[in-house]
Amino acid sequence: MTTLVYLEQTDGAVDEPSLQAATMASSLGGGAEVHAVVAADTAALAPAGQLPVDAVQVAVHEAFGSYAPLAVAEAVVELAGRLGATCVVGPGTERGNEVLAHVAALLDLPLAANCVAVADAGVTRVRWGGSLLEEARVDAPTLLLTVQPHAVAAEPGAGDPPSVETFTPTLSDAALALRVVERVGAATGGVSLADARVVVSGGRGAGSEEGFAPIEELAELLEAAVGCSRAVTMAGWRPHTDQVGQTGTKIAPEIYIACGISGATQHMAGCKGAKRILAINADREAPILQSADYAVIGDLHEVVPAISAAIRAARSG
Amino acid sequence: MSTALSAVALLAALAVATALFARRAHLLYRIVRLGKPTDRSGDLGRRTKAEATVVLGQRKLLQRIVPGLVHAFVFWGFIVLAPTIVMALLGAVDADWTFPWLGHQGWYFLLVDLFCVLVLVGVVSAFGIRKVQRPARFEGSHLREADVILGLIALIVTTLLGWHATQIALGLNEWPAGWSPVSDALSGLFGDGEATEAFERAFVWLHVLTILGFLVYLPYSKHLHIATAGINVWFGRTRARGRLEPLDFEIEDESALRLGAGTLVDMTWKQMLDTMSCTECGRCQDVCPAWATGKDLSPKLLIMGLRDRLFAEGPAVLGGGEATALVPGAVTDEVVWDCVTCGACVHECPVSIEHVDHVVDLRRHLVMSESRFPTEAGTMLRDVGRSSNPWGKAQSERAAWADGLDVRVLEPGDPAPEILYWVGCAASFDERARATARATATLLLHAGLDVAILGPRESCTGDPARRMGDEFTFQEQARQNVGTLGDAGVTRIVTSCPHCFNTLGNEYGDFGGDYEVVHHTELLAELLADGRLQPPVGEEAITYHDSCYLARHNDVLAAPREIVSRIGRPLEMARSGKRTFCCGAGGAHMWMEERGSAINEERAREAAATGADTLAVACPFCTMMLDDGVKQTGGELRVADVAVLLAEALERV
Amino acid sequence: MRVLVCVKRVPMTGGTIVLTDDDRAIETRHLGFTISPHEECGVEEAVRLVEANGGESVVLTLGPTEAEEQLRDAMAIGADRATHVVTDGQEWDPQATASAILEAIRDDEAANGPFDLVVFGNESADAGNFQVGIRVAHALERPVATGLKALTVDGGTARCEQETAGGRDVYVLQLPAVVTVKEGLNLPRYPSVPGRLRAQRKPIETRTPERPAPRLAMARLVVPEGEGKQAEVLGEGAAAAPRVVEVLREIGVLA
Repeated sequence: MTTLVYLEQTDGAVDEPSLQAATMASSLGGGAEVHAVVAADTAALAPAGQLPVDAVQVAVHEAFGSYAPLAVAEAVVELAGRLGATCVVGPGTERGNEVLAHVAALLDLPLAANCVAVADAGVTRVRWGGSLLEEARVDAPTLLLTVQPHAVAAEPGAGDPPSVETFTPTLSDAALALRVVERVGAATGGVSLADARVVVSGGRGAGSEEGFAPIEELAELLEAAVGCSRAVTMAGWRPHTDQVGQTGTKIAPEIYIACGISGATQHMAGCKGAKRILAINADREAPILQSADYAVIGDLHEVVPAISAAIRAARSG
Repeated sequence: MSTALSAVALLAALAVATALFARRAHLLYRIVRLGKPTDRSGDLGRRTKAEATVVLGQRKLLQRIVPGLVHAFVFWGFIVLAPTIVMALLGAVDADWTFPWLGHQGWYFLLVDLFCVLVLVGVVSAFGIRKVQRPARFEGSHLREADVILGLIALIVTTLLGWHATQIALGLNEWPAGWSPVSDALSGLFGDGEATEAFERAFVWLHVLTILGFLVYLPYSKHLHIATAGINVWFGRTRARGRLEPLDFEIEDESALRLGAGTLVDMTWKQMLDTMSCTECGRCQDVCPAWATGKDLSPKLLIMGLRDRLFAEGPAVLGGGEATALVPGAVTDEVVWDCVTCGACVHECPVSIEHVDHVVDLRRHLVMSESRFPTEAGTMLRDVGRSSNPWGKAQSERAAWADGLDVRVLEPGDPAPEILYWVGCAASFDERARATARATATLLLHAGLDVAILGPRESCTGDPARRMGDEFTFQEQARQNVGTLGDAGVTRIVTSCPHCFNTLGNEYGDFGGDYEVVHHTELLAELLADGRLQPPVGEEAITYHDSCYLARHNDVLAAPREIVSRIGRPLEMARSGKRTFCCGAGGAHMWMEERGSAINEERAREAAATGADTLAVACPFCTMMLDDGVKQTGGELRVADVAVLLAEALERV
Repeated sequence: MRVLVCVKRVPMTGGTIVLTDDDRAIETRHLGFTISPHEECGVEEAVRLVEANGGESVVLTLGPTEAEEQLRDAMAIGADRATHVVTDGQEWDPQATASAILEAIRDDEAANGPFDLVVFGNESADAGNFQVGIRVAHALERPVATGLKALTVDGGTARCEQETAGGRDVYVLQLPAVVTVKEGLNLPRYPSVPGRLRAQRKPIETRTPERPAPRLAMARLVVPEGEGKQAEVLGEGAAAAPRVVEVLREIGVLA
């Protein structure tokens, strides 16, 4: 039995969610051989380092010079066919899901996206951005799934490093046409929300666009990114790119400071990746307090400036 | 001049003046006829009472005693002196003619003299107010026009005195001269010769021509109010000031659908009459909380802007032209959204203009036709429609405040309670207002009432949507709630929110919902009076803030004060009772950003200035806004609902 | 141009998710419903495209009879007509959903000509399967760009912008094409009342296909653990600030 795991990479290093997917793939058991597949436009971009897989196949084609989801999927399908894979795994990132969805469509097989666990009886996957879990059975000769980021911890491979082979996939015209043709630069400077180590967010409690001033001040002191809840975006106070939530940006900071945010499930789905959450809210019965590690009960317009002042004092004193 | 010539001259002057007046009056009438219908019929008793007190009795003007008396003198003078117009018209033709019976009554000419003097006192005082005191309420008014009008009034009265004086000097008076001391004294200035005869003719003709000239000038100036004000007061609201008139969406023909006021032809005839009754007195501007905190809205300028548009565009529209958008042309968007619907303007207006109706109709068009409104309020409208409360919280959590209390939640099929406690969205979901819900429920249960709540089935009354102008969403909510209440068999409701109180009691009747609705302070005051609640007497200094929707729109003033004076030592703010100053949350402002300085801070400062320790309120919005206001102004005042204070007092027993 | 936009009726959950007794559905008794957020932006985009280019927009949903509410909402914003693939309330898995939608598209296109653009949400708020749009695109043999935050249609091509870390990636697709969009694409308009009234009278075509046996079958739902934790209250008001600074220092985010 063979399990095939699709890995995404950036500048030659495999992305964290893909490592997690590989770990999940290798733990599936049943003595299956685990092959990894990556797509690159030159063989030189083969991934380095320890991967918890038996072999790595690099699909090399100039089409992979820029992201081309259908082309990647066709390469995966070709390899899966050649290997007789009984299970194809991918990372549950935006692109991982996209590629695996193409694979599923090409093979006319069900796809279980964003799984947190796989067992004989079926999979456990995520709904509502993580606020709900679904146990599901898959009726298919080959199991297709993506792995929810942070569901498992990535573990390096034990034993010998995997063998690396290359192959050139046969790609359809449609696959060659569906590719990124241009990159448009990031709009702002400052810390990117998705990558930030610290995120400070404001919700309805900020009261207005100007009400974000203390939040921005604190964020600057902590070199943090500023985020907001959906209510704020819908009110037109901040752009959608600042929105943290199920339909916004998903963040994974060391600490997430949520000011005046009540904690609706769709918002919490966006900050589940945060290691710690500090909620600043005047309502001690706000739902967010059930997901937060720390809380300060009070009006953010009083509390946040006080924290900023205390930080300044601590730094100068 | 011979009598015949005089008659011809007078008739000519009268004809010309009347014709000019009638032509203009007819145009104004035709413009008002363009207005959409509104039902202001019935209730003859109240309408008559309004005419008697507001018009004849000058009640609203006398709310400010000095300018009120100034106007009253002039107005009453106008009434008393009315017969002298006829006397003068006929006297201009024939100096010997005397008004039958009245022309011989000494007491009448005493009154004439007295009121001539009072009118002059009034005019001089008016000039004093306008030129020396210069009150801020005249900012934006047409002062020059007013000066001209005052001048003309003075001229009319002095020429009348002059005419009577010269008549007495010539012995033409048919009344005993001693009864009219002023005219009599003035007659001493004149001999009985030809010069005086000339003066007598001059005075009467000047008097007549001034009056006729005034008649022509009338419908071109704000003095038009002398014709329109009486009518406007007659057609004013007679009941349920807090009720907005519903729109009808069931119309097949989309082009006949009226969605508020987009252009002048969408205004109702009453709204048009409103604008023609405005005297630019500025009392409304003086009490408007938006204007007081530096915003663009002045109710006076709003009405004047609409009036100017009516006169500028009305004739063209009558001729077949297109009416143009009122917002932003005649009224800016900011002005429309600045309003908190507190009704202070309506309370002050001496001619029964209903400014709040204008604002809401302008909003209705902006929201329902153009989807043009402050973005942040759009979230609230969507939440009311989809989540059944304006904060988008889960309805399943609506009764969470009652955890641990023994409050019965009414399930479908349960028997109806004697009284239903309608909690409202604010007290259900806001952490500060929840204390009110808990205290109210506890007190009612403690007093042994058979009370229940609807819990998750209670959905927003729709008040914030309605005040925003989204009448459509409001009516959906109304129908849904009327259905729920009907199914539950509810007939009596108590609520701790004045907005719910107003909507359930005054507005749901238009949608088949007929309930006896009381505010929680009324019920609690009743329980106190009956001895079912017996708190100890307290000493703490408490100042009570009247909610606009409770005191001004619905006349509930005494009940909360009965409670406050039982449990503490009451201190009144200057702006209290029906002259209360808004907390700033009304008109859906709870969900809109405020530009400029804050209304709630203004009120918080006023409350703190009384020296009280506690600021008592009777509304969850007031609770939230004033608590914020106190904090933002660095105050120490404790803001708490009357029910919370009462419950605490009872715990001290 | 002709645009089809597909929407799904989803409940608006609040602070916590509560399941029915059999653990197979969310308890929706007191919840409101809406079009899934990504798709709301899809509807707005479809309406804008037709406003700019003329033509017709059609909104489609696969869902229970109550989903008519979402179709009326979409038509109130400006969609011209609707197709309702009516289910009995049971869940349809992504493949079944895609094939039912495909049938409806094929029938519509046979009668009215091809859709220049078929618009899906990137994923639905509830099930979040990320695949229906792509499956339909494959079956129609049309290109598909996903997760779009910007879309411009010019002549016979669509310029599509997909948000990634550090910027946006651009695809250029030849029409007819399929796209999946994300919230942030635009700010959906508030429907006007004439729009809402007209929507009551716009036509909805219904179809009631048989539900095929699911190949990804939900067995039960589980609310994840760890939701019941109580935060450590560091203090109240401004007085809590020193303690907060301590915590930040402990974590190591205070330089």
